[in-house]
Amino acid sequence: MTSRSKLARGLSMVASLALVLAACGGGSSDSATNLTTIALPHDWCNYGAMLDGFVKKTGIKLNELNPNGGSGDEIEAIKANKTNKGPQAPDVIDVGISFGPQAKTDGLLMNYKVPTWDTIDPSVKDPDGAWYGDYYGVLSFEVNTAVVKTIPKDWLDLLKPDYKNSVALAGDPTASNQAIQSVYAAALANGGSLDNAQPGLDFFKKLKDAGNFVPVVAKQGLVASGETPIVITWSYLALADKDALKGNPAIEVVIPTSGRFAGMYAQAISAYAPHPDAAKKYMDYLYSDEGQLNWLNGYCYPTRYNDLVKRNVVPADLKAKLPDVTGAVFPTAAQLDTAKKLVTGSWKSVVGVDVVKK
Amino acid sequence: MTTQGPGPIAVAKTMEGLTAPRGAAGRRRRGSLVWWLVFLAGVLYFFVPLYATLLFSLRAQPAFAAYSNVLNDAQFAGSLLYSAIIAVLTIITSIAIIVPTAYWVRLRLPRLRPIVEFVTLLPFVIPPVILVFGLIRTYSGDPFPLTYSDLGSDALLVSAYVVLSFPYMYRAVDSGLRAIDVRTLTEAAQSMGAGWFTILWRVIFPNLRVSLLSGAFLTFAIVIGEFTIATFLARPAFGPYLSLLGQNKAYEPAAVSLISFGLTWIAMGMIQLIGRAAPGRVQVGGAR
Amino acid sequence: MTEATSVVNAREAPTAPPVRRRGAWAVLGVVPFFAFSALFLILPIGFLVIGSFQDSAANLTLQNYADLSEPFIVEAYGNSIEISLVTAVVGGIFGFLLAYAVILGGLPGFLRTALMTFSGVASNFAGIPLALAFIFTLGNVGLVTKFLLDALGINIASAGFNLYTKIGLEIVYLYFQFPLMVLIVAPALDGLKRDWREASENLGASPAQYWRHVALPILTPTLLGAVILLFGNSFGAQATAYQLTGGTINLVTLVISSQMRGDVLHNPGLGYALAMGMVVIMAISIIAYALLQRRSERWLR
Repeated sequence: MTSRSKLARGLSMVASLALVLAACGGGSSDSATNLTTIALPHDWCNYGAMLDGFVKKTGIKLNELNPNGGSGDEIEAIKANKTNKGPQAPDVIDVGISFGPQAKTDGLLMNYKVPTWDTIDPSVKDPDGAWYGDYYGVLSFEVNTAVVKTIPKDWLDLLKPDYKNSVALAGDPTASNQAIQSVYAAALANGGSLDNAQPGLDFFKKLKDAGNFVPVVAKQGLVASGETPIVITWSYLALADKDALKGNPAIEVVIPTSGRFAGMYAQAISAYAPHPDAAKKYMDYLYSDEGQLNWLNGYCYPTRYNDLVKRNVVPADLKAKLPDVTGAVFPTAAQLDTAKKLVTGSWKSVVGVDVVKK
Repeated sequence: MTTQGPGPIAVAKTMEGLTAPRGAAGRRRRGSLVWWLVFLAGVLYFFVPLYATLLFSLRAQPAFAAYSNVLNDAQFAGSLLYSAIIAVLTIITSIAIIVPTAYWVRLRLPRLRPIVEFVTLLPFVIPPVILVFGLIRTYSGDPFPLTYSDLGSDALLVSAYVVLSFPYMYRAVDSGLRAIDVRTLTEAAQSMGAGWFTILWRVIFPNLRVSLLSGAFLTFAIVIGEFTIATFLARPAFGPYLSLLGQNKAYEPAAVSLISFGLTWIAMGMIQLIGRAAPGRVQVGGAR
Repeated sequence: MTEATSVVNAREAPTAPPVRRRGAWAVLGVVPFFAFSALFLILPIGFLVIGSFQDSAANLTLQNYADLSEPFIVEAYGNSIEISLVTAVVGGIFGFLLAYAVILGGLPGFLRTALMTFSGVASNFAGIPLALAFIFTLGNVGLVTKFLLDALGINIASAGFNLYTKIGLEIVYLYFQFPLMVLIVAPALDGLKRDWREASENLGASPAQYWRHVALPILTPTLLGAVILLFGNSFGAQATAYQLTGGTINLVTLVISSQMRGDVLHNPGLGYALAMGMVVIMAISIIAYALLQRRSERWLR
């Protein structure tokens, strides 16, 4: 009957579509020659060149997950994929350093010490090798100089009336690492300290009351359009933005004179990694001189920086491009935790939009 | 349907009405200016933000650099094709599941309606990230390790999207069924010896064309733009690709959202054309 | 059997299958749907339900649900419900008017096709691109903001308008609510048989009476169902709100995502409990809708 043959035709179409899909789909999950990474945007600390270099050196095939994920996403991905050996399970993660200890306690990490282990400062690595610091930068102001004529030099400058409707954060302080630490960092310039983040919240309240705070998540597009001409963000991101925009519009990256707050990230291998050998080779590459210089090219200070400088491995022109971050302070994991709880708990009540009116 | 009995004035008006010219001209005199204004207001509301995005995207130097960067990217066509295929598979599967269900609920099982509606509305309130983690946990081990292979993960993706399409597809099909006289159509067809399959395929489906098209539109747009599930299932779809491209640049995200908008609109147009080319309505007995 | 069918039967020779067998078929007809839902919706949600009763160390607890009474979370639900209601109703009304305009309002036919296809796209245009589009339009240096200021001397900021507020969010949400309403209501408007309108006119009814006694009662179930859908759609929106408000407006979806994703891992169990709360709210709306619909469906056979 006609309807039946039409149905048969339809079904065979579907079947052939499915076959096309199977052919189009990504590569196989051969454990010796594949690596699954997660949350590594190519513009972040020059990860693009880093990953290219790794692939060229080892021939391992890369499977990149969720480039815009946050540290929490990476941890959740490990947890959700404990029994999964497929392409959804990450092998290696790069998370805010405060996530390291908890992830180790939860049994999510595999111990491994790279060949250059001893050149890494003990304060930023786990003694058993569960996690290890990789790079850091400081919080800075990314300023669109086409819109902002007087460039702010320090945190308290941001409160001036010149900057009405100008200052934004790069995320939500109840969810984003970068935003939380921005609030924490503001405390340093407002009478607080690494143990007391409350003045940071007060600072942002003042900023909002002065009409200077734009409560939007600042993106490069919004900086360029002038909607958020001043963004508080990591120095390496601001500098990478400046390069990418190539003067359209002109960007200046300001490291505040006081309140220099350093944020450290850490690498780790998942305890449930489907490709542990590839993961180890990856770590070896990251912590080799070549790997560390890749990060340096992205304006991130790698953890082995002092060692590299001592051995004169850093090219002079590269050193000149790096921002001056003397006096930057590094909070401990415990301090970060306390501040995180305070900021995420109090942000909405202190700085939130007045929900009654509008 | 109305309950007014005709009085003498009404009778007079009826005579008037019967002799008055009807048709397009007669209808249009009824306040179509108002409707033009409504439509214009809609056009303004929808297009001004798109225009603002366009203007911003053209601030790149040279002006169309953002667009050429996007279109020249190797993965653009590949991920778009992948998502389009997934969308078609999703639409077919969703229609195949929802139409019989809505039909049966309307015809024979009205008591099941609240349950079915609740289930179809669940995908709205379940955050996609929870759904995808649940899917991974369920299907990443025995007995159905779908996540281990690409084809299995693709199947999982289509299944997740079919679930996401339920609210729209069911709503559209249900409205469509409500508007046609399902009971009479069915009984008339049965009295001519049609089996259930024939009834569904040759009587119900053709009469649901508008609803199915509207459901298909929505499903297509959802699949093309979907990001969370495709990302966590590690599928090379258009949504994750767009987000990857746009994240750390200034003008490209604006270009990308307009290109994606335009392409999806064109795809809608094509679905519309295909729908129009399908066999026309089948009348059975005194249905209309 | 109805009159019509028995008349038809008298004319035609072939017999229909006996009534009894249809009962079994009926249930079979919905099995695929329930099986599919069970496999790909209910089962994965099982983790959600179980997770809502666990704390971060996977011990069983009711604390997550107890936490739902925290003022912060109550406020989040309040905001989400308020914004969803407003956008559902406003979206429903204007979406209905738009659909009516192109289907029954005497506009050229190609505009209907254009609106339908556009609505297909726009109903899914959400998240960061939508938020950015509106920031470029109505933000502090937006196109419309500047136009109103430079060309007409109107300063909407000093008049009290601010895109980064609940009202601003509602304006943005409507961008996908209007098209969704159009798409849902179009088939129903199509089904509004013209004969009814003409018949009611012939019987002397004014357009208002036609609407009140004929059209609206017929359309009501669809309209109600569409508004529920719009409510759910708005309730579940997350990415748009996140980008537009940077978290300064307290919404349930934002609280869930900050518990479960991003850079802060508070308590996924709380996130699950919040999601369960959303499921309950949806269930209540459906019950309300089912009750309302049962009353209005008395009009139809």
